[in-house]
Amino acid sequence: MIEQTIFYILAAVALAGTLLAITEKHPVHAIMYLVTSLFSMAVIFYLLMAPLVAVFEVILYAGAIMVLFLFVIMMLDLGHPEKGISPHWKEWLPALLLSGISITSLAAIIVSRHATVSVCPAAQPIREVARRLFQEHGMAVELVSLQLLFALVGALYLGKAPSPPTTLPEKEVVKSPGEGVTL
Amino acid sequence: MIVPLEQILILAGLLFFIGMGGLLAWRANLIMMLVCIEIMLNAVMLVFVAGSAQWGDPDGQLFAIFIMALTSAEVSLALAMVVYLHRRRKTVNTDLFSEMRG
Amino acid sequence: MKLYLALILLLPLSGGLFNALLGRLLPRRLGEVVACGVIWGAFACSVLAFISFNAPEQVEYASWLSDFDFKAPIALYLDQLSLSLTMMITFVCGLIHLYSVGYMKDDASPSRYFALLNIFVFAMLTLILAANLPLLYLGWEGVGFCSYALIGFWYTEEKNATAGRKAFIVTRIGDTALGIAMVWMFQLFSTTSITELNGMGFLMPTGVITALGILLLIGAAGKSAQLPLSVWLPDAMAGPTPVSAQIHAATMVTAGVYLLIRMFPLIGSSPTTLAAIAIIGAATAFYAATCACVQRDFKRILAYSTISQIGYMMLGVGAGALTASTFHLLTHAFFKALLFLGAGCVITALHHQQDIFSMGGLKKQLPAVYWPFLAGVLCLAGFPGSGGFFSKDDILGAVFDQGGTLYGTLFAVGLLTALLTAFYTFRMLFVVFHGEASTPLNHQTLTPDTRSAGRVEPIMTITLIPLALLGLFGGFLNLPKYLVSHGLLSTFVASIPGFSALEHASDATGISLQIIAATTSLLGLGLAWSRYTGRRRAESLQLEDAGLHFTRFFLNGWYLDHLYNLLFIHPFTWLSRFLWKKIDESTIDGTLNGLARITMRLGEIPAGWSNGRVATSLIALAGGTAALLGYAVWSLM
Repeated sequence: MIEQTIFYILAAVALAGTLLAITEKHPVHAIMYLVTSLFSMAVIFYLLMAPLVAVFEVILYAGAIMVLFLFVIMMLDLGHPEKGISPHWKEWLPALLLSGISITSLAAIIVSRHATVSVCPAAQPIREVARRLFQEHGMAVELVSLQLLFALVGALYLGKAPSPPTTLPEKEVVKSPGEGVTL
Repeated sequence: MIVPLEQILILAGLLFFIGMGGLLAWRANLIMMLVCIEIMLNAVMLVFVAGSAQWGDPDGQLFAIFIMALTSAEVSLALAMVVYLHRRRKTVNTDLFSEMRG
Repeated sequence: MKLYLALILLLPLSGGLFNALLGRLLPRRLGEVVACGVIWGAFACSVLAFISFNAPEQVEYASWLSDFDFKAPIALYLDQLSLSLTMMITFVCGLIHLYSVGYMKDDASPSRYFALLNIFVFAMLTLILAANLPLLYLGWEGVGFCSYALIGFWYTEEKNATAGRKAFIVTRIGDTALGIAMVWMFQLFSTTSITELNGMGFLMPTGVITALGILLLIGAAGKSAQLPLSVWLPDAMAGPTPVSAQIHAATMVTAGVYLLIRMFPLIGSSPTTLAAIAIIGAATAFYAATCACVQRDFKRILAYSTISQIGYMMLGVGAGALTASTFHLLTHAFFKALLFLGAGCVITALHHQQDIFSMGGLKKQLPAVYWPFLAGVLCLAGFPGSGGFFSKDDILGAVFDQGGTLYGTLFAVGLLTALLTAFYTFRMLFVVFHGEASTPLNHQTLTPDTRSAGRVEPIMTITLIPLALLGLFGGFLNLPKYLVSHGLLSTFVASIPGFSALEHASDATGISLQIIAATTSLLGLGLAWSRYTGRRRAESLQLEDAGLHFTRFFLNGWYLDHLYNLLFIHPFTWLSRFLWKKIDESTIDGTLNGLARITMRLGEIPAGWSNGRVATSLIALAGGTAALLGYAVWSLM
């Protein structure tokens, strides 16, 4: 019962954080709201008997990825809401409409289903999860690692210092030396 | 299960479509669009984990972990692109990038 | 016989093909020699055929159209009628070809001219010799095509090309009637052979025969320029003069008369048809004679005179006087070719001047033309003793013999027409050849140095002589009964069904009719003489030059062209314009354009989406998601 209450509180926090995150004009604030939301998600994961995912959520999402966002925002000096273009209220209209239709439909579908029987199985120990991961999905792990490698190479390539202007004829190329930051 | 699966699914759906709405609205800022994509992926992870808990199968968790790995790859690459584009165009407004026109 | 007949047809055809295919590559003289040679060869063959002729003969060469019980082989039928016509055609056309060599000596495209001329002869001979109607129709259409191409020979001038088209289209009306008659006859009698058809007329009720006869009459009227389809012939003067001669004398306009004579055993059993033929003939003869009286274009006078003379032939057919009609057809061929060729000489000499009022006094200048032309004039006017006198009188006598109110009236009309004919013929002669030159232009023409420029080739005048002789003495072909017991032609054609059916009146009647006709002719001569020679000449010419009200009516051919305009062309133009502007452009094109515009507008809507922006794709994606989910909910409910 107490878990249920905690879940609802966490759900409310997650929703509120997400909503604030997408409506916030200041990107750094938005990231902060999102981190809040992600933390509550991590706890929800924990409540759903997935401690491993909960931990990764905190470490990877709230930790690494969001920090990466923050880093890029700060590096490109985008942290000024008055400089950035925030969405006009008119641009929210199609978003609201389409999201509203979708969520209503989804909710209607979910509600109209027969309620699933809550079987309440035993918690999965991490050892079991790890065995399953590396024994049965070893190929997937390898693929994901390859993907990460490619992302690393790509990011390195994209982020390296711009070539001399003769090879990049576009006028928009920024030639000031201060911008040539290598990631 | 702490709550019925339906409630978790509705929460995931809400999060997903909030993220989608943000994605549609924030066309002026590539970084915020990526943030919204993160929200959507998170919602998907929630569905997987909830399913895993519902049927006591660790595969759902595994997929959540895969998604996380995928997300980190995607974000690193996408942010690198943001940096690249910003360097060339001095902007992150996607409406100004229309080279994909057929 | 088989060989002769084949050669008669194949020689002109091969000559035409030779000139059409190779004429441009070879020397001009060779093309002329071939063109004339094949026609004279055909004449020689027809003479040989005449010599070896015993009895009517049908020769089948090959199968042409054959399907179920429909058979139209390439078969030729030679009897006295077709033989005499073949000889006449090949002879007259041979002379015309020779004449053409002189007339067309400066023309730029002689090979086209001679090729068409040869094929013209081929088509006419096919028409004459055909043993079945489809083959006859082939020749019929070939004649129509060649006349079209030759009338519009100098097609660079709009007027000539239009005249060619007019001839083609007007004769096409008649051809359609003939085509209907042909198909109907096959449906009725299950045969297309002319001889078989002629023997089967009694099988059908008179009404059917009458209808068939009327259809054939329309066909003949189209080809022979009878009322009301006569409008094309005066305009057909746009072609070279030898072509006019050939069309009028031998190859084209007589085809209608020939058709009626040929089919007479079939259609002759219907008095209605005969009366219709006679009425049409007499009306046309009178109509054309009145028109000819006031024309001032040399060739138009002759054109109207042809219409008038063909009207006589029709009248003869209507009166059942086939021999007389054939006789007149033959003599007419001679003297009309003569007149046209003579006119061609005059026109050449005067640098293509065709207005008779600016001619005059040519008797002294062109004696070689004058005397043969005089012979032709005498024939056309029916001057006593000439060939035309006997043949025309035969027809009038036959009409008189028929008796009754209708034929009596027609006889009177024919006699009046004869008077008019004599008048306009001599008017033409006197105005052109007698008197003094009346206009400055003419004076110029007659000065020695310019006259040499319009020199008439000797070959042109030489060809006039045999025609003049034949025209003058053509009467001997078929002298009246009171002079010889049996005319040559009468005896020759007597065995053809339909030809000998006529009971001739007594000699006394014949002689008195001859005297009446001769008087009429002399009266016309006298009228013309008093009006166009001597002192009164200048006065009358001036009067006619100014143009009177009633002459304008005749000058324009009774405004027949205007009638056509009013009845057919204007409504048709209006309808075409309506269909073009309202139906085609507004309705059909408008609908299409509207549809295209709507499609374009519709296309622009999704086209605007492919603007390459990420946001658009995202909205589409979200919209798709929403739509799918919405549909899922919809199907749940």
